[in-house]
Amino acid sequence: MLKRLLLVRGSELAMFTLLAVLPLFVTSSYALGLLTLLAIYGILLIGLDVTVGYLGQVNLAQAAFLGLGGYAAGIGVIRLGLGVPMAIVLATLVCTVIGALLALPALRLEGPQFALATLSFTALTTMVLNEWEHLTLGAQGLPVPRPPLLGFALTSREFYWLCMLLLALVWMAMRNLLSSQWGRAFEALRDSPIATDAMGVGTYRHKVAGFALGSGLGGLAGALYAFNFQYLQPTVFVYELTVILLLGVVLGGRKSLWGAVVGAALVALLPNLLSNKFLFQAFSAAGLAVALFAGIRGMTSRRLRAFQAFSPIVATATLLGGSLLVKNTEDWRKAIFALMLFSVVVGLPEGLMGFATSFLARLFRVEPPPLPAPSSLDAVLPARPAGTGDALEIRDLKRWFGGVKAVDGLTIRVKAGSVHGLIGPNGSGKSTVVNVVSGLYTPTEGTMLLGGKALPVGSLFAAARAGVARTFQNLQLFSGMTALENVMVALRGVYRVPLPLVLLGFARREERRAQADALALLAFVGLGDQARKPAKDLTYGAQRFLEIARALARRPEVLILDEPAAGLAHPDVVKQVEIIRKIHQRGITIILIEHHMDVVTELCDVVTALDGGKLIAEGTPAEVKRHPKVVEAYLGSDAPGDPDTHPLAPEPAGG
Amino acid sequence: MPGSIIAQMAVSGALMGLVYALIAYGFQLTYATSKSLNFGQGELVMVSAFFSLTLINLGLPYLLVIPGGLLFGALLGLAVERTGVRLALEQKSEGWILLTIIIGLFLFSFAENIWGRDDRPFPTPIPSTPVHVLGVDVTWLEISVLVGVLAVMGLIELFKRRTLLGKAVEAVAADRDAAELMGISATRTVVLSYALSGGVAALAGILVSPITTVGPTMAASFVLKAFSVAVVAGLESGFGVVLIGLFLGALESLASFYIGSGWREAPGLLLLILALAVRPTGVFGKAVIRKV
Repeated sequence: MLKRLLLVRGSELAMFTLLAVLPLFVTSSYALGLLTLLAIYGILLIGLDVTVGYLGQVNLAQAAFLGLGGYAAGIGVIRLGLGVPMAIVLATLVCTVIGALLALPALRLEGPQFALATLSFTALTTMVLNEWEHLTLGAQGLPVPRPPLLGFALTSREFYWLCMLLLALVWMAMRNLLSSQWGRAFEALRDSPIATDAMGVGTYRHKVAGFALGSGLGGLAGALYAFNFQYLQPTVFVYELTVILLLGVVLGGRKSLWGAVVGAALVALLPNLLSNKFLFQAFSAAGLAVALFAGIRGMTSRRLRAFQAFSPIVATATLLGGSLLVKNTEDWRKAIFALMLFSVVVGLPEGLMGFATSFLARLFRVEPPPLPAPSSLDAVLPARPAGTGDALEIRDLKRWFGGVKAVDGLTIRVKAGSVHGLIGPNGSGKSTVVNVVSGLYTPTEGTMLLGGKALPVGSLFAAARAGVARTFQNLQLFSGMTALENVMVALRGVYRVPLPLVLLGFARREERRAQADALALLAFVGLGDQARKPAKDLTYGAQRFLEIARALARRPEVLILDEPAAGLAHPDVVKQVEIIRKIHQRGITIILIEHHMDVVTELCDVVTALDGGKLIAEGTPAEVKRHPKVVEAYLGSDAPGDPDTHPLAPEPAGG
Repeated sequence: MPGSIIAQMAVSGALMGLVYALIAYGFQLTYATSKSLNFGQGELVMVSAFFSLTLINLGLPYLLVIPGGLLFGALLGLAVERTGVRLALEQKSEGWILLTIIIGLFLFSFAENIWGRDDRPFPTPIPSTPVHVLGVDVTWLEISVLVGVLAVMGLIELFKRRTLLGKAVEAVAADRDAAELMGISATRTVVLSYALSGGVAALAGILVSPITTVGPTMAASFVLKAFSVAVVAGLESGFGVVLIGLFLGALESLASFYIGSGWREAPGLLLLILALAVRPTGVFGKAVIRKV
């Protein structure tokens, strides 16, 4: 614990102390300018890393937000007579709001379309800054005065301290945010957006919030940029700067505060690197050496593909060869960025800090902080009184896909506290029913009532919030997160601290509570000793149990288990049946879709059999198994009523 | 006579819009097979145009310059696929977005230093004299754009429908896994689609250069609008990009006339963001059913 505190917090403290005292010894105004830029770009890249690293989307709009923030602050000072603090607040707010407005349409899309939308936004911003001459003075540029702060005119050293202070605050706020439920939600939505919605966390809202936050930080950096240079020009905030910023984040290392600051140092130093030929040659030679070393090691240990090992060597060799041949490296600036970025993206996708952290973690073996004692199960999953009435009522439900009537007029009443089985041959519509109830599909027709109230339709998130929890036939775990985090992210009713207080670090207490609650649920499904294991490293059976624990974290009104025993070995099937029985004993209503007839027979109070999207039989497991229509659905109608070929009865021995 | 002026603006704008449509069609070709597209496509247009200009300056006849330029574009497309796309597709990541941006940046810098930063005229034997058609003046150059764009799109669509190789491309576009199980190499169709896409980009460069001149930044605004066209039309429909391209070209020409030439790009960008908000799969795109 102490070692962890010393290493992790100690290194942060050491860096910021060093950066704070440095200007006392560095007198050159040029070096001070570079340090100021480092702080500004640090904030900017931490913001960019939210989308690029945590949301996993290529964001080409951060340069535009830097510009918008700068102009907002500048215009605020000139037109509204704002002081430095208010101008900074204004710039941050303006960019947060514009970021949210852009994110609302753009984040409905993934990958390339999102990148295109942000690229277009950058072009649009440059155009508006250029053309709205009345406010921005257009292409001739906007001079921005730096008003005194609290009556004192800021020297460049004091301004540097202001920037550094803000970087430190942003750093701490981000750390608090990322170690809270927000950070887990970001991780989760990258792993499985569907499960994030189905667990009531909300993919879209977290994406929009994350993008808005990153844009706001861009605005904050923009305000500082404006006060630093005291002159703004639209041509600065264009596509090229965007690419350089991406270079910073990727080279520094995604999903890392350290990475953002290392990347910022690189971006700030880049122009110097290019103007000094000797420095640049040395840098390229070092790059080539690293690429050669990493490439050869990667090839011999067969960790890298040939292309991954080889192409960074070619790229850095081109860089070195070019630096010897070309007269003026400045002219080739973009090609140089391109080659550097290419080598890093292909050869070192984790970035410098990603590499360094995994190396240091192996070296020091920092233990994670100890876990609290599990909460009592009654507090996490209170036993419900024996239910009366219907937990879920489906009335005349239809879901058609074009001409295919996957569900065609289905009425089911699920009694509160019961285990309700749903069986039927492949293609009978079971999965569609589950997907409609859980909100993945919008019903074509029909109503659904949960505890007598209308169940929201067509939204996994809304259905989950209303009290439906589900597991998935094809597992949808958050595979990069630990078992504990998988359950923590889904917990309902634990996270109450509002965002501003989370940023200030007031969420620690509820974080402990969440850990304790999640541990209780893990113990409930028999995974109490595997809390720290990444979900992807669990055995297949354990992954199925974990999905159930995660669904229970929702404290659901109705729990839908979609083939929980599929693919399990026999001992795990026995465990699974035991887990489901224990859930049943706590009074939770369960809908069970299953092909194992013995599991259905053992657990279910009522079974509904479907075929062709219609109900064909309902009753106790024994009744349904013998129902002629069920027999026909499973085996066809060639031998109706022949008792010797009854499908679901045990085969007579011998022959 | 404002009516005829409007018609004139709309028609010449729409004909330029066909160039956006052609570049957007290049995006569709690769998106169909690989769900990826080249963010540096504009640089392919520009570098191919410069290369063709060099061929002309070397004294090659125009009828040889066109195939030479197309071949060069196709080779660039192959290079993009190999260096920027294949690894990312193998890793099932979206790394290709960043990598193709990087390759574009490299090509841009390359062109800037080899051919210079200035805009240069692109001589062709096609006359720039206007013809009077249905009350508006159209130059022969604009007609060559119309013919070139429709011809090459028609040929590629025919290739996809009539030849075995083309059907393989369609099969991979429809269902990559199923096509692989039937013995079609998805990687090879992706390679082919990138080569085609590079050729299409080169053609766009050759067609538009006589009108706009050749320079390193010539394609930057084209490609941005081609992105808008591709997203607004949806990344599946070749017919859609032509319609949206014509529409956007006309709209933009009118916007620059009425609002001011600085706002020329605005309609495309606003249209894109609106389309994303209202219909994320594009006007002609199909909604995808999510499965779990």
